[in-house]
Amino acid sequence: MLFNSIDFVIFLPIVFLLYWFVANKNYKHQNILLLIASYIFYGNWDWRFLFLIIFSSILDFLLGIKLSKETKKSKRKTLLFISVLSNLGLLGLFKYFNFFIDNFISVFSFFGEQIEYNTLEIILPIGISFYTFQTLSYTTDVYRKKLEPTKDFIAFSVFVAFFPQLVAGPIERAKQLLPQFYKKKTFDLTKAKEGLHLIIWGMFKKIVIADSCAIYANEIFSKYENMNSLTLLLGAIYFAFQIYGDFSGYSDIAIGTSKLFGVDLMRNFKYPYFSRSIAEFWRRWHISLSTWFRDYLYIPLGGSKGSKWLNIRNVFIIFIVSGFWHGANWTFIAWGVLNAFYFTPLLLKNKNRAYLRDIEEGRLFLSFKEFYGIVITFFLTTIGWIFFRSNTITDALLYIKRLFTFNFNGSLQYLSIERYAPELMILVGGFVIIEWFIKKREHPFYGKFVGFKLTLILLGIILLGNFSNVNDFIYFQF
Amino acid sequence: MKKFIIYSLSIITLFIILTYICDFAYTLIYQKSNPRNKLQYILNMNNQNIDVVFLGSSRVANHIDSKVFDSLSGKKTINLGVLGASLNDNLLELKLLVKSNLIKNLILQLDDNYQYTNSTAIVTAGAVPFIRNKIIKEHIKNNLDNFNKLYYLPFYRYATSDHKIGFRESFFSLINKKPKMDPKIGYYPKYGSYPKQTAMLPETLVSENLVFNEIKTICRMNNINLILFVSPYSSKMRNIEYIDKLKERYPELINMSRNYKDELFYNYGHLNYKGSQVFTKDLFLSINGLLE
Repeated sequence: MLFNSIDFVIFLPIVFLLYWFVANKNYKHQNILLLIASYIFYGNWDWRFLFLIIFSSILDFLLGIKLSKETKKSKRKTLLFISVLSNLGLLGLFKYFNFFIDNFISVFSFFGEQIEYNTLEIILPIGISFYTFQTLSYTTDVYRKKLEPTKDFIAFSVFVAFFPQLVAGPIERAKQLLPQFYKKKTFDLTKAKEGLHLIIWGMFKKIVIADSCAIYANEIFSKYENMNSLTLLLGAIYFAFQIYGDFSGYSDIAIGTSKLFGVDLMRNFKYPYFSRSIAEFWRRWHISLSTWFRDYLYIPLGGSKGSKWLNIRNVFIIFIVSGFWHGANWTFIAWGVLNAFYFTPLLLKNKNRAYLRDIEEGRLFLSFKEFYGIVITFFLTTIGWIFFRSNTITDALLYIKRLFTFNFNGSLQYLSIERYAPELMILVGGFVIIEWFIKKREHPFYGKFVGFKLTLILLGIILLGNFSNVNDFIYFQF
Repeated sequence: MKKFIIYSLSIITLFIILTYICDFAYTLIYQKSNPRNKLQYILNMNNQNIDVVFLGSSRVANHIDSKVFDSLSGKKTINLGVLGASLNDNLLELKLLVKSNLIKNLILQLDDNYQYTNSTAIVTAGAVPFIRNKIIKEHIKNNLDNFNKLYYLPFYRYATSDHKIGFRESFFSLINKKPKMDPKIGYYPKYGSYPKQTAMLPETLVSENLVFNEIKTICRMNNINLILFVSPYSSKMRNIEYIDKLKERYPELINMSRNYKDELFYNYGHLNYKGSQVFTKDLFLSINGLLE
């Protein structure tokens, strides 16, 4: 079920009303309703894959209890190993099996060995990368004794399958989310309004910004051989805003929907394109994944402790794994490696912890250094997105090569979508201005004139939204 | 909770009111502005006597220089070919034309468009702002499953065709911006030559096309001289025998599908500027005796 579908528009109010008017006696009733709703939400896409979620829930629930009872370190390690192996095993099978087989065969072919083989027709279960990481965080935290295992199977199942964030995050930690399912939620008007505002703002980002940018980006990336440098630059910028609008829009809707049920989810984006360095960008982009990797991979590897070489190794591991998490394609790995290269100089100069304070904090205007940092960071990020968006590494390299030929012949290219390439910059520019003024908040509906702001955004959705070209959320494929 | 429900309902109400306002504004803009597509152009035509009307798809819009044809024949000629249009779309154009204009000759493109009876989004998108027009209403009702939504839901018609008649188009209409393809001229030649790509005509001919039959009936009832023709294809077009089958069924069809050099083509099915100039003259010579 897509957030931007009629199905969801019907589904959400029904679940909302049942939750607050029928299942409001105690938290158990609330949890049962949320679990049923979550399974319907997921099963609406493909009910067969519900069994995977149920399997993960049962396995990690039982392992959690077993871990709490076990005192022997070696046995505890074995239990954690079972959890990691089964969760990552399923992820590997569904997401990476064909990738590994293809590459394995390619290596053999390179050395002159011809092998007959068949890849499998495997459907990637939506959200598997997200809920797998969520359940892994649970068993790992129980193993580390940072979390008491739950004895409430329903609450745990809701934690794994909670529909607002099931298919594309934010990837929640058990420590933060699970306890919210242990107590009865009472209706909070402020929180519910906040949720509604976030949903509207998320819809605006998705339908107006992301889907508009998608039309241009798809056109430019698919015909990059015929585009001049300006159009290629615009194509990369449009994709940067497509993926941002799409994913942060999804996250806003997820967080907002969750608030309607009295549940708080973590913030996933903090205006990443206003970052002054790559390190800051990664503290603001897909925060739930970045912090997951930090806590469960980077720090266990040694983090920033030890020699510089070890630090650099850890950074590369994190970014490569992060790239690979996004999809079974070398383009994602290249994107990860590129970001590691961006990050390394900051690490070597001990500047990776710079800019912890917000922009303009304590000052009225942005300094030139900050402005320069924002522009450079955005540029580097955008170059990275070319790898992310391209079908192959060769395509990405050719795209970049053409971009840097500085060929501006026929600068304002008229595309076959019957639009001039730069036209959409008006909308993108307007969006950047709005975000700049609300950068200390999560959405624009604060302070005075909330009604007026709501009217403008709703009008924006009606007039500028893309309804004939509805796209799936990009992160559904991960 | 009560407050929240009232708040949510008020946002929904606001949204619905806004859709009504936007629907009203867009419709007004399209009704009052200068025509930016051929359907609007036809709707603005009233009590005109036209000697020759060309109808078809891009293979008419790109191929027939109406000014050249006009000067060669000495007859008032308009090119109403629409990029991507089907016979069903041409039927709608014809219905609107004959309602308040007099037409002597209709020159209709007939090729693989004979295979299809459905209307395309290209023309229906242009028509939905005028859905209250009786002819358009009937046409959409007969052809589109979502007629009720288009007719009754505010702004739905604009939202579902936003690429064609959305904010950009209505804004340009509002400021009366001249379109890239002026419907009054009607002829949009292609430039360059990229005939490498191949394409294929259907292998078999459908037994009948009811839309085509309706076009013939309208012509008969309105004393319009109907002339059928096929534009040229490049050597990259496969199954060209399809046109022979069509010619067999309609012997009056002027078949000009062959004998044009590839250098005159933009691609397999479209002539370039040079090709269209040659073809317009050739076509005139072929049908001159048939014109009334």
